[in-house]
Amino acid sequence: MNLTVILLNVPVAAEQLSNWDMFLEASILMLIGLLTVFAVLTIIILLGNLLIKTVNRFFPEEVKPIVNAVQTIDSNVQEAINKAILTISGGKKAAQKIEKL
Amino acid sequence: MEEILRKVYEMTAIADIIADPRFLIMYLLAFVLLYLGIKKEFEPLLLVPIAFGVLIANFPGGGMGVLGADGEGMVHYMKDGVQVAKNVYEMSLPEIAHDLGIMNLIYYALIKSGLLPPIIFMGVGALTDFGPMLRNLKLAIFGAGAQFGIFAVLLVASQFFTLQEAGSLAIIGGADGPTAIFTTLKLAPHLLAPIAIAAYSYMALVPVIIPLVVKLTCSKKELSINMKEQDKLYPSKTEFKNMRALKIIFPIAVTTIVAIIVPDAVSLVGMLMFGNLIKEIGANTSRLFETASNGIMNAATIFLGLSVGATMTVDAFLNFQTLGIVAGGFLAFGFSIFGGILLVKIMNLFSKKKINPLVGATGLSAVPMASRVANDIALKYDPKNHVLNYCMSSNVAGVIGSAVAAGILISFLG
Repeated sequence: MNLTVILLNVPVAAEQLSNWDMFLEASILMLIGLLTVFAVLTIIILLGNLLIKTVNRFFPEEVKPIVNAVQTIDSNVQEAINKAILTISGGKKAAQKIEKL
Repeated sequence: MEEILRKVYEMTAIADIIADPRFLIMYLLAFVLLYLGIKKEFEPLLLVPIAFGVLIANFPGGGMGVLGADGEGMVHYMKDGVQVAKNVYEMSLPEIAHDLGIMNLIYYALIKSGLLPPIIFMGVGALTDFGPMLRNLKLAIFGAGAQFGIFAVLLVASQFFTLQEAGSLAIIGGADGPTAIFTTLKLAPHLLAPIAIAAYSYMALVPVIIPLVVKLTCSKKELSINMKEQDKLYPSKTEFKNMRALKIIFPIAVTTIVAIIVPDAVSLVGMLMFGNLIKEIGANTSRLFETASNGIMNAATIFLGLSVGATMTVDAFLNFQTLGIVAGGFLAFGFSIFGGILLVKIMNLFSKKKINPLVGATGLSAVPMASRVANDIALKYDPKNHVLNYCMSSNVAGVIGSAVAAGILISFLG
């Protein structure tokens, strides 16, 4: 596609373009190109904002209630901890309470 | 005995290399690229296959160099001691493999057909997270500012090359290897070798080029702008209630919009977004994601790298046109970084909330290397200023921006 011919109605074949014509054609392409890239990314930004609002309104994530379940500790683990404390303290100390943090 | 020795000598490539010492330059180039890839760790996944492709393509008699077709698709080669000219597009794949060797088979079946660049884009999409871009949507506009280099160099190169060649050269400014290859195949396939090597080399040199342009164009005060502090001073009102749903809908919506506005960019943007979609869906498409991001991506990278390297034969590479492309490519790269920085500076003039110009410099599509380099620069000026997430927004937008720019060039010049 020859931009100069299309946009400026310059009646020359592509292979006959002078340096000035080429410069002109490249300038037009630069303008169109930059504007299009800016337009597309602007649209993507607007689209992104629209999607954020839409998702927030119609598909908000379900908030799962936090269950305060009693966290039990395996009896073997409790026993191992007790034995470790007794060994280290030489039998002087014992665990008062063991719970998961 | 003398006859045997002579035949052994003729069997080796030594005689041909002595007859045409330009081969030595190509070996040197291959060794330098291998050094950069292995020792300096500049994009080793790409640079090592390309460099090795250059090396094996330039051993006379090895048959691993890609034969470039002329404007009518004719390739000229020796067969049974006779010069043969055939239209490569009328040759069957087994014939190409038999007459021209396996590297030509890979090149014409996978590269020249335009198959691999979109496939690699799918892999890139599968490895891309649009989260940082969605969290900082406004910064995505710098992905457009950094396409300035493409069109600025198109303008300059139009005085030395045909417009198709100038367009292919200019796309190096997008800092995206697959996009550069895809565009060049459509506009000026005879320039594929130097353009691919320039694009990938400059991508590998992002850690050198970005600091250079930033140093020349930004002040210490600008580079010390702390984005998190700016966020605290001017907090965003946007809240995200379901990021996962947003990330799934986003690639579908972007593909649809881009396809309507620039249909020529769909093969790249569409595949990019498809790769991203199968990543974001999660467990239900995890097998597709694994294949796209690992198996296919890695295989495609190997074939692309080796065969692009193999296009760099002595005749195709060592000429003045290549020098022009190497110089023009550097300009395109530099102007693109500057374009992003300039846009930030302009916006900072009108906005209370200041933006670090590094966010503009990463509007290139060299993801995520450009962002990492920018983050390192920011930390030098302020050890608490982590700009990575902000830079990733413009960086990822740059991938879309350069694909759109490629689509425009193909649409008007193809």
